[in-house]
Amino acid sequence: MRLLTHNMLSSNIKGVTNGFPLKIEAEKVMEKEVDFNPDFLRNMFYKIEWRPLVDAARTMGYAELPEEVEPSMLDSEDFLRRLHRALLQFHLEEGTLICPETGRRFPVVKGIPNMLLNEDEV
Amino acid sequence: MTHQSNMANLLASTFMTYHSPITMIQAFNNNSFLFVKKNSYKKKNPRYNKHQSECLLFTYLKTPHLPKPKISCSNLPRKRRRGPISIRSTKPTEMVIANENKPNDSLKQGIADFYDESSGIWEDMWGEHMHHGFYEGSNGDTSDAYHRSAQIRMIEETLLFAGISDDSANKPKRIVDVGCGIGGSSRYLARKYGAQCQGITLSPVQAKRAQELAVAKGLDQVTFQVADALEQPFPNGEFDLVWSMESGEHMPDKQKFVNELARVTAPGGKIIIVTWCHRDLSPGEETLLKDEQVLLKKICNSYYLPDWCSSADYVKLLDSLNLQDIKVADWTDNVAPFWPAVIKSALSWKGFISLFKSGWKTIKGALVMPLMIQGYNKGLIKFAIITCRKP
Repeated sequence: MRLLTHNMLSSNIKGVTNGFPLKIEAEKVMEKEVDFNPDFLRNMFYKIEWRPLVDAARTMGYAELPEEVEPSMLDSEDFLRRLHRALLQFHLEEGTLICPETGRRFPVVKGIPNMLLNEDEV
Repeated sequence: MTHQSNMANLLASTFMTYHSPITMIQAFNNNSFLFVKKNSYKKKNPRYNKHQSECLLFTYLKTPHLPKPKISCSNLPRKRRRGPISIRSTKPTEMVIANENKPNDSLKQGIADFYDESSGIWEDMWGEHMHHGFYEGSNGDTSDAYHRSAQIRMIEETLLFAGISDDSANKPKRIVDVGCGIGGSSRYLARKYGAQCQGITLSPVQAKRAQELAVAKGLDQVTFQVADALEQPFPNGEFDLVWSMESGEHMPDKQKFVNELARVTAPGGKIIIVTWCHRDLSPGEETLLKDEQVLLKKICNSYYLPDWCSSADYVKLLDSLNLQDIKVADWTDNVAPFWPAVIKSALSWKGFISLFKSGWKTIKGALVMPLMIQGYNKGLIKFAIITCRKP
């Protein structure tokens, strides 16, 4: 599971008002090379929640993202490269995603998060 | 019932041609097939049940005109033998009967198990797209390539109908594939639009396979999750395009399904539902006819489907959520060649062996394919596309 995915996942348990972002408990993180695509990154930039991305990246062991961003930074190749690495190259292979309100744990196995809820959480 | 008699002929000729040990004795009325396996198992195996007939009867569906025997099938191919399996021609024993009275958990588990078991064989025979092909006219081509391209055409025709733009300002940037199978649509859409695509499925096997295929094709912006379409793990308004290609039929609560689709759509985004429905009810009709309900029930049992609805029901639901530009079309005629082609592939030698190797759920699904054709022929089963826009 990449951070790009994590930035879009939220907990949908009954009664939870804000299930985003999910906390990450990383057990196994891998980095895989991905082709650099600046256009894709520029499109995605406007849709990313920045603070959760920075925090999540830090949990996965990457602290190079700036705390504050603005659109003009998209012209900088250095910034795009860091964004690329954080969003697309780090993979959470094994770990857990945790609902920020209830603490409910969603397992990530072989890179696939299992977000299925139990009957009583629905 | 042209299709039906063609089916019978096809079965007969296929079996005869291959000189297989299976000889088709009889294709009964409309509802079942009787496969008879002649074997010399009786001679070889001293533990052979004396009460069994010499032939292995493998009768599947309820046939009102026949007695309903209780049959043991302990001599299925040895690799798969797990002990005697009792197959009644009334309700097969390990069936999950999906209707609104059973807890949805067992339906969800049934769906997950069904696709865990059968995705592999589907992919082997038909490739990465687990949906109908779109056909127009007939040029007599029945090759695999023809059907594959029809499946691609289905995606393109769907996008065309929904008016999805591909210019860089208006094209979708974030897409969700609800009921993504092994990710065929997700990968196609992501590549076409350069968009990010999330796929959700109940089947862990499918999610894993979908991810493998995405990685293999270098599509890093496509990811898959095991999740429930009725409880999607996404915040509100996340996606520009919400895509449900032949998954709606699995949703036990159509209202909840449509609510979730609308919830995760961004303002200005579009929802596309392509699904099997039953025919619209005429004014004054409260339910389908009794025999129509019976036919659908049989199909539901094998494909882990809850009760069906009509495309008019979907339109009503979308309208109630104030979604705009609702469009619906009946594409039943455009998918007509699909089921006969699937049946034909199942009856090929490769198909047959793969079915045997897969599992009972898959075999049951295969056996019920003629019922789909019957449903289409009767005007009961429709293939519909419904699209709309969130204001």
